[in-house]
Amino acid sequence: MTALAIEHVSKSYALNGVQRPVLNDISFDVAPNEIVSIVGASGCGKSTLLRLIVGLDEDYRGSIIQGGVSDTKAAKVGMVFQDHRLYPWLTVGANVDLAFDASNLRKPERLARVHHYLQLVGLSDYEKAYPKQLSGGMAQRAAIARALAQEPDILLMDEPFGALDSILRMRLQDELLSIWEKNRVSIVIVTHDVEEALYLGNRVIVMEPDPGRIRDVFEIELARPRDRADPRLAALKQRCLATLVGREALS
Amino acid sequence: MTTFGAEESFRVERAAPDVQLWKVRSLALRLVLPLALPTGILALWWAASVNGWVSPQVLPQPDWVLQTFLDLLESGDIAAAAAVSFRRIAEGFLIGASLGFLFGLLIGKSETADAYLGPTFRALAAVPSIGWLPILILLLGIEESLKIVILAKACFVPMAISTAEGARTVPKGLTEVADILKLRARTRFFKLTLPSMVPFIASGIRLSLSQAFVSLIVVEMLAGTDGLGYMMVWGRTLFQLDIVIIGMVVVGVVGFLLDWLLKQAESFVRRGSGADA
Ligand SMILES: Nc1ncnc2c1ncn2[C@@H]1O[C@H](COP(=O)(O)OP(=O)(O)OP(=O)(O)O)[C@@H](O)[C@H]1O
Ligand SMILES: [Mg+2]
Repeated sequence: MTALAIEHVSKSYALNGVQRPVLNDISFDVAPNEIVSIVGASGCGKSTLLRLIVGLDEDYRGSIIQGGVSDTKAAKVGMVFQDHRLYPWLTVGANVDLAFDASNLRKPERLARVHHYLQLVGLSDYEKAYPKQLSGGMAQRAAIARALAQEPDILLMDEPFGALDSILRMRLQDELLSIWEKNRVSIVIVTHDVEEALYLGNRVIVMEPDPGRIRDVFEIELARPRDRADPRLAALKQRCLATLVGREALS
Repeated sequence: MTTFGAEESFRVERAAPDVQLWKVRSLALRLVLPLALPTGILALWWAASVNGWVSPQVLPQPDWVLQTFLDLLESGDIAAAAAVSFRRIAEGFLIGASLGFLFGLLIGKSETADAYLGPTFRALAAVPSIGWLPILILLLGIEESLKIVILAKACFVPMAISTAEGARTVPKGLTEVADILKLRARTRFFKLTLPSMVPFIASGIRLSLSQAFVSLIVVEMLAGTDGLGYMMVWGRTLFQLDIVIIGMVVVGVVGFLLDWLLKQAESFVRRGSGADA
């Protein structure tokens, strides 16, 4: 059983009237409760791929199948964008509360969950603040809280920690892992940071550009909790970087 | 230590007058400059009437006009005329702007509706409100309903255009979030569409009211029996040019204040909605 099956997906955008391929024959599966990291050069189509998976863009070839939780209930897909996309006219709390709009939860329960998720990302004191009163990193954390609050079966994250300093980044990576352990959620996370990809992922997909395609896949069979200083991670990092840079060295 | 203190106070002393001078200057720029032209006109008017360059029947002396103004103010004629005019604006605005809002929402949100209705609307909107007057007088006479219809039309157009513009420019990124969170239609409208339209609605309201004010004065002049516009016509028929001048000044000042107030309100709303952030 797979949570997400991506088969031979290709996508092109029209640029000045010419179709320019952006994704070329992408195939991979995501097992339930698996974390898949995607790394690749800027512009190789990582964001585009996530947009296809979440259903924001239906103009592509190939197939994307989300394994439902059961036969009757479709999988819930959440997404954290590269930019925070909070609603500027709503408080941080109200932004997170949007995640419950489609549910039948009662008001007090919703409130409790908003508290819970804001606490998780360290924003308890900012529930009543407006997005423009937050720093870039705080806004991004609020966006993560909103996506988590939706309690998705599949969580797509587009460079979610890119705007954060390294300490906070590590803390949130560990938060993410603990949430992931508690809830059965499959995660696809796009990142520029190879270490992050290796630390979080059960698998790391390395993409290359022009057109975007999968160059290599690394299975990370290290038990959790992982030690960031593990020499095996360091060795994997070397291989990963060689794969990423190797292509650029050639071109 | 002492040198340091002395230096500090020396610097403060030097800085303070500069800042004050600058403040005084900017205040002067904001208050004096706009008043320079009216003062000049007033002086010219005075000179012209006192020296008899223009017949006093056409251009009465400023002090007569002031006297008439005070008389009219005391008798309550100006207040009564203004009250009539403002009631009309309020009624026309309520009808026109709310219909304009709904219509703008329709053509802004639905491409089909825009395809059907948009071109006709834009063509009709290009005819100024006053252009409708002859045909509307035939249909409605010169009753109250005529003024309300003209004013409603004057408010409808800018409101519809601004609202449609606002409905079309809901940020795409935020719409995608709404799609992913599967927001209900109601939530989507009240927490996404409407708030993102607030700045557009605010300028719609401002444009409607200024349009309404201008059209109202004209309608009252052409087909009125009361109100500020009629006051001017009435003054002319009586050859009381002082009343005409008072009417012009009152209309000008009221229109200016109205626009200023609405601009303040609009920028307040813009700041509040976070649209500029
Ligand atoms: N709406 C669009 N119209 C046309 N071309 C687009 C559009 N969106 C993306 N592209 C193109 O698709 C390619 C991939 O873009 P994408 O945003 O998926 O890259 P990315 O891998 O996420 O890059 P980054 O790491 O910088 O975020 C880019 O070359 C971009 O120019
Ligand atoms: Mg991207």
